[in-house]
Amino acid sequence: MGSLKIGKMIMRSLGRKPATLMYPVIPREWKERTRGHISIDMGTCILCGICGKKCPTDAITVDRDAKTWSIKRMQCIQCSCCVEVCPKKCLVNEATYTTPAVYKIVDTFEKPDNPEADSAGGSLKCDDTCVFCGICAKKCPQAAITVVREDKKWEVDDDKCTRCGLCIEGCPKKSLKIE
Amino acid sequence: MAERKDLIQDIQPVEASELLGAVADAKTAGYRLGQACATKVDGGIEVLYSLEKDEVLKNLKVSLGDNDPELQSISGIYWAAFIYENEMHDLFGITFKNLALDFGGHFFKIASETPWNPVNKRSGAADSAADGGGEVASSVAGEGDGGDGDGREKIVNLEKNDKETPAKADEKGGEE
Amino acid sequence: MAKRTVIPFGPQHPVLPEPIHLDLVIEDETVVEAIPSIGFIHRGLEKLVEKNEWPEMVYVIERVCGICSFGHGWGYCKSVEGNLGVTVPLRAEYLRTIWHELGRIHSHLLWLGLLADAFGFESLFMHSWRLREKVLDMFEETTGGRVIFSVCKVGGVRKDVSDEKLAEISAELNGMIPELKELTDVFIEDMSVKNRLTGVGVLSKEEVTELCAVGPVARASGVASDVRLDGHGAYAELGFEPCVEQDGDSMARCKVRIKELFQSIELIEKAAKSIPEGDIDVKVKGNPSGEFVGRMEQPRGEAYYYSKGNGSKFLERIRVRTPTNANIPALVKMLQGCDLADVPVLVLTIDPCISCTER
Repeated sequence: MGSLKIGKMIMRSLGRKPATLMYPVIPREWKERTRGHISIDMGTCILCGICGKKCPTDAITVDRDAKTWSIKRMQCIQCSCCVEVCPKKCLVNEATYTTPAVYKIVDTFEKPDNPEADSAGGSLKCDDTCVFCGICAKKCPQAAITVVREDKKWEVDDDKCTRCGLCIEGCPKKSLKIE
Repeated sequence: MAERKDLIQDIQPVEASELLGAVADAKTAGYRLGQACATKVDGGIEVLYSLEKDEVLKNLKVSLGDNDPELQSISGIYWAAFIYENEMHDLFGITFKNLALDFGGHFFKIASETPWNPVNKRSGAADSAADGGGEVASSVAGEGDGGDGDGREKIVNLEKNDKETPAKADEKGGEE
Repeated sequence: MAKRTVIPFGPQHPVLPEPIHLDLVIEDETVVEAIPSIGFIHRGLEKLVEKNEWPEMVYVIERVCGICSFGHGWGYCKSVEGNLGVTVPLRAEYLRTIWHELGRIHSHLLWLGLLADAFGFESLFMHSWRLREKVLDMFEETTGGRVIFSVCKVGGVRKDVSDEKLAEISAELNGMIPELKELTDVFIEDMSVKNRLTGVGVLSKEEVTELCAVGPVARASGVASDVRLDGHGAYAELGFEPCVEQDGDSMARCKVRIKELFQSIELIEKAAKSIPEGDIDVKVKGNPSGEFVGRMEQPRGEAYYYSKGNGSKFLERIRVRTPTNANIPALVKMLQGCDLADVPVLVLTIDPCISCTER
């Protein structure tokens, strides 16, 4: 017969169960690397704000004074940029998708009060090898460092500093440390 | 190990008056039209034509001023250029002379005039397209379709109706 | 005297995956002229360079199209890397090539399904897409997304795939080959499909060169042009020949895509065996200044990526010229003189991806 060459495939699929899944009644098996939604471990978060600055769609807002971290779920594109830049590695890309809704979901998380952990961090110090290049001041997400090259002045605002460590990584002379 | 031909970059600036000559030479040498695009820079517009042969590109760049930019169309040499030139006309406001298939500003359905070049707003473009019936879908170079009046008028009427209905779509220019 | 009417085709039509409008001037069921008009899905994505810095722009550019998404990401990264003068490590090139070829497989399977749907062969459509699901699962296991991958970045790739995983993928694809062969034999040999495709929409080699058509549309008429011959990615090391047919009709375009499907499976197998060890990315410093014109072979043809920088964090221009944009003149020419009933099939044989055309 010149036609119905697909007969064999059809006969085979009559005997098998359907190729589709009755989702969401039957839950789906998620793969390990699926990019579903972002979740945060607020105990480890230091509210440095780097994730908010790096987010390409401005979905993350970090409020240091109110001690909250909030994310607009519908604006997030699950690119995992925030996960990569977080210095304390408290962000994780979970595998389940956000539940669909008819309004824009905004999730806000509060940092639990832990005064011991806050003050045990030490302070940022700069030693004599500093050349006053100003790279640390540019990198600081909270604008806590001031560098004036002509006056050879380097100072840090201890309240604003979140001990995120970006300045330590970026210093070309390795003059900075937290102690 | 084959060499990386894609890294060979050849961008030559060309005067607007010499453009046709350079493109005609390229066509005789066997080049194929790749693409044509426009970039808005401070004080003008730059139009880039890319021609390709044997996996190597040759790019010709023409610089135009901001006031009523005009350029000779290359659709006489490469008919397929009408797509790029109509798009550049609709988005940037560049006028092309002797365009083989001219849509008169109606190729791209956009809400506002020349959104990527706000300096050169052509407020008269809509009216001139509706009046000049011969401009829309004019006969293709060398391929006379022998069209009669009925078909053409119908198309012009359609376009005119399109322009008169108020633009309902929001600005798609990324201005969120 | 024959009466002429104008029939609008699109933007909503069951056969079109994306909206395009064609005004068909017909004379007694034969199309005399076709006038295209686009702009229904114009999002002005290229203008977002003014708002997004160049490392973040890759997320915008890969969302230009859902079907050829990886190719757009790679093309943008290639163009900015050329601007900056960065060389990507070889392992990253191999990974990019593997993902790009997987993208080609899923795009051609999608197209085969749409073609079957265009002439009413629903069960063939469903089976093509059922096989395509396995490829989408492979994407999800390696990159995390089924349609948008976010895995390419300027300087390399963001995620590594272990050699065992690559071998698994290659084995699974090889296991799919008997079923794929059964499916594609239906397209080539079934009588009802042959009647709809053979001899319809013929473009000769001279016409294709004159109209500057690209991709499978050009290769089906005997023009052996393919961007993968210029040695980017890992193609130079894997060895590659373009698939060419001579007839120039819709059946030839279908055969070219089917041949490319099997060729991609072979390329992935070769790449998985010979992938070298090494880094997957390189640190990038500075901002792009200057211009670079890069090209990619998307499943639909040749795409251009032109980037211009001025030394700041924001690029001055990124231009994406997609293959469907170059095939529209060929479509306009093909439609002249065809039957009205053949119009949906002809529009589909150039593989229209209008969201790419209008960005």
